[in-house]
Amino acid sequence: MTAVERPIGEDELHAYVDGFLRPERRQTVERYLADHPDAATRIAGWQSVGDALREAAAWKFQEPVPATLNIARLAETRIANRWGPWRMAAGVVIALALGAGSGWLARGPREAGAAASASKVAAAANREPGAHPVQLAAAQPAQLAGRVTQGATGAGTPPDLSKSGYRLVGGQVVASGQGPACMLQYEDAQGTRITLLMRPVQKHDTSATQFAESGGGNGGRAPQLAEAGADSGGRVPQFAEAGDASGRRAPQLAEGGGTSGSAPRLAEGGSSGGAAAAGSCP
Amino acid sequence: MGMSVLSKLEENIPSLRRYAWTLLRNSSDADDLVQECLLKALDRIDTLRAASDLRSWLFTIMHNLYVNRWRRMKLRARLAADNAEAELAVGPSQQASAEIQDVLRGLSTLTEEQRQIVLLVAVEGFQYGEVAAMLGIPVGTVMSRLSRARDRLREFVEGRERPLLRRVK
Repeated sequence: MTAVERPIGEDELHAYVDGFLRPERRQTVERYLADHPDAATRIAGWQSVGDALREAAAWKFQEPVPATLNIARLAETRIANRWGPWRMAAGVVIALALGAGSGWLARGPREAGAAASASKVAAAANREPGAHPVQLAAAQPAQLAGRVTQGATGAGTPPDLSKSGYRLVGGQVVASGQGPACMLQYEDAQGTRITLLMRPVQKHDTSATQFAESGGGNGGRAPQLAEAGADSGGRVPQFAEAGDASGRRAPQLAEGGGTSGSAPRLAEGGSSGGAAAAGSCP
Repeated sequence: MGMSVLSKLEENIPSLRRYAWTLLRNSSDADDLVQECLLKALDRIDTLRAASDLRSWLFTIMHNLYVNRWRRMKLRARLAADNAEAELAVGPSQQASAEIQDVLRGLSTLTEEQRQIVLLVAVEGFQYGEVAAMLGIPVGTVMSRLSRARDRLREFVEGRERPLLRRVK
């Protein structure tokens, strides 16, 4: 035997049929098949099978894609399902929930109820970190925010907390004691997550706190959140030190020029899963 | 989600529909599976590492949906095949050739794994390594199942199995 060439393997017969062989090896296989009629018959059969399968399925490939699979519409649906409740928003309630171990933040006894329900929702959602995937991932938060603004007229835009080092990583619609709410998740560079709960409110909704939207008449614009500057003294509602494990400060909530005389001072506390509610009534 | 991502997803819909149909052999079930796959892909698009992986990434999502959540569909498809109710049509206005009918009949006699592999390779044109990664099995297993699938289907296409099948029915 003078064979120096690698013997032909069955894998190579498949690769020959599927066109995966390099030209020189392909020629080797062709020589082999010329000398081995049984193998050649088998390979011809495989080729017929492939032709028949491709022919059998070709019509489905060529068929017009039905409207139910329109990708742009599916993408819209995906967004609308999450943000739909906002379309009818008369205002916005925001609750800022800081992760487990954070401080209890509330405006005062009057708001304790609202804050507590917000807290419950957030706490429930945060109970098992990692077990609740972010439903609407925001690979490009700016684009997402734009979408949300358009799609949820009057509901507001997810606040930009980038000055505080937090970026929007996702959100989902969740149930709250006052109906559907939108839970937004932000994350900082260290991976600390905060959850912001937003929900539409009606004018008569007394459970909502009242300070947030200063514009009053421009119904439903989201309260602006901004890094409170050095002059935050007194007027600017400001979240107290979060007291979370990392000891980092929570982003501060600044009012956009409020009409509500004295700014609510958010109390600090030590209980876990805390949340604060803020809101607007046009 | 940029438009380019959406249009890249869109480009893959015809082949996803084709694969789903060849698996399920029922057009409305197949499109339901594809829709579920696309929605899942939209949710997870940020986990896609490179655009060049998009096609096998989509097929992996659909494979997992099919295996994990569509068992009942699978059973229905098999039942339909047994009852010769699986769709044989090659389009509304065309007549299925005898060869096509034979190969589709043969397809429904394969094991689930053999069917997936032969379709992913012979119809969808995936490399063996891609199929192995998609299905979470070694390449060697892909190759041996591919051999069995092709040999089995060859018997149908070459007519050797037809009399037997008719007796069974």
